[in-house]
Amino acid sequence: MDKKLLLVDDEEGIRKVLSISLSDSGYEVFTAENGEQALKIFREHSPPIVLTDIKMPGMDGIELLQKIKAENPDTEVIMITGHGDMDLAIKSLKYRAIDFVSKPINDDVLEIALNRAHEKILMRNKLREYTENLEELVREKSAQLIAMERQVAVGQTVEGLSAAMKNIAGDLEGGLNYFNEMPCFVSIHNRDLKVVAVNQLYRDRLGDKTGDNSWEVYSGENADDALCPSAKTFKTQKGQRTKATVKYANGRQTPVIVHTAPIRNQTGEVELVVEIAADIAEVNRLRTQVRELQDHLSSLGLKIGSISHGIKSLLTGLDGGLYLVDSGFAKQDQARVREGWEAVKITVSRIRKMVQNVLFFAKERELKWERISAVDFAGDVAASLETKINDQDIEFVCNFDPSMGDFEVDAGVMRIALINILENALDACLEDGVKKAHKIIFGAGRDQDRIFFEITDNGIGMDRETRENLFTLFFSSKGNKGTGLGLFITKKIIEQHGGKISVVSRPGVESRFRIVLPNRFPAVM
Amino acid sequence: MPKKILIIDDDPVIVKYLKAVFSDNGYATCSAGSSMEGLEVVKEEKPDLICLDLQMPGEWGPRFYRRLRKDKELKDTPVIVVSGIDGDHAIKDAVAFVKKPFDSEKLVGIVKNTIG
Repeated sequence: MDKKLLLVDDEEGIRKVLSISLSDSGYEVFTAENGEQALKIFREHSPPIVLTDIKMPGMDGIELLQKIKAENPDTEVIMITGHGDMDLAIKSLKYRAIDFVSKPINDDVLEIALNRAHEKILMRNKLREYTENLEELVREKSAQLIAMERQVAVGQTVEGLSAAMKNIAGDLEGGLNYFNEMPCFVSIHNRDLKVVAVNQLYRDRLGDKTGDNSWEVYSGENADDALCPSAKTFKTQKGQRTKATVKYANGRQTPVIVHTAPIRNQTGEVELVVEIAADIAEVNRLRTQVRELQDHLSSLGLKIGSISHGIKSLLTGLDGGLYLVDSGFAKQDQARVREGWEAVKITVSRIRKMVQNVLFFAKERELKWERISAVDFAGDVAASLETKINDQDIEFVCNFDPSMGDFEVDAGVMRIALINILENALDACLEDGVKKAHKIIFGAGRDQDRIFFEITDNGIGMDRETRENLFTLFFSSKGNKGTGLGLFITKKIIEQHGGKISVVSRPGVESRFRIVLPNRFPAVM
Repeated sequence: MPKKILIIDDDPVIVKYLKAVFSDNGYATCSAGSSMEGLEVVKEEKPDLICLDLQMPGEWGPRFYRRLRKDKELKDTPVIVVSGIDGDHAIKDAVAFVKKPFDSEKLVGIVKNTIG
């Protein structure tokens, strides 16, 4: 216990006597002869008890009492009063002096007063201690309670989450492994915006960020404790979709799309956030692959509706021919039999052509190059259609430049290409009911380092819509008879050879196809 | 007097086929190779039934049908659609839809049921 004591009295005699007796009682006594001095000493040593005379020159005891109480209200002050100074004594009590003793000072009385002062100090201290302790205790316990509640909530949340994940994983083959193998970065974040868990891919590519801040893995505007996906989710309490950029462990950056899902605790507050980030580059790559596959499929594959229509017509035509032949035989009608047989022949040849086109189309094969005489080749092509054209009373004229020389070509497919055009010319003439005489001119020649073929007919011609869509897959102006494949394939073949095909036409008058091929096969295919 | 059937199809082989089938079953026939021609022939010949193909160059089958329905005299002529493509959404009141390739006996049966 603090045994310091300040004694203030203007009479030296009293100071001496009292300080001796007080020291004997075990106090450490400081003396002052006036108020100012007393304050100085008081400020320096902070004695818990002050014993002061009231009547002093300068600052009197009551003023001193006030000042002391103002500076350190816990100080207990005992006033020394003169004989008959009852008013002053009472006044000092009002100013919170703890007691007064009157002169001449009785030692016992003084002792009692001092003891009371001590007691008061003691009790005050104890009370303070208890109060502080109690407050501390309550704080502690409250904090513990909150923490425990939180934990329970989180625990339940995490349990719920992992139960849900287990359920989903259970539906998938491979169980929880699947989540580790998902081609996305999965991470779980808590309210303090710290990463709580990550999946394997995350660990592999971005590093094990468990315990780090949620925004650290991002770069750019999302690398911020208010703008990272988790922060936004906690703020809005709703799932977010964000385009962001993440940093790989090796420093590389890559764009991602982040979807977040809030995980709520029992009271409905968002406790955790799951971030699922899909690597855009990967997604785009896959998307492009899928698109390419789709394009490939739809160009390789046959649009059944379109092709099958042509096929159905051919089959009907075949039925027709057969019916005529059969019924012709039954009725012994030779003319009908002949008619039917012609129909069958025409239809079969159409079927053959379609099958060839389809086969060619379905199987992209490497071109088989050979070096051959252009004149011979053209002659070959002309010969294969000559009879058919002549049978229809169409004049067929061939103009081949004999000095054309050789060229490099896959003869087999180029034949198909030219035959498709010639047959179209034939059909165009047949379609045209206006002109009396029809003619197809097949020309071939050399133009510097190129070979050209020209096929002209004076058939029905083509309108602009037809000309523009001529080489499009499945476009046909021939109604039931067209497959929409012929010219598409022709163009493809020519382009594969590094050549070009063009057409001019006047509706009702004529059409001319011009094919130009390089002499040598192109170096780069 | 035999009932007359108008065949509208751009494929001459199919026209020949249908003509043979129908005339073998006692019907008179006439034909047209396009829907434009068809409109003319319909007015001239006034057939009792029309066999219509849907996909033809120039005007499409359903267009012909709409034109037909607009003409007061001709709009009640029964129409059978014979086609390789699904036309039932394009032509609503056709008597029947026959898909190519078809069974000629069935077709004749439908015609008999319609016009006798």
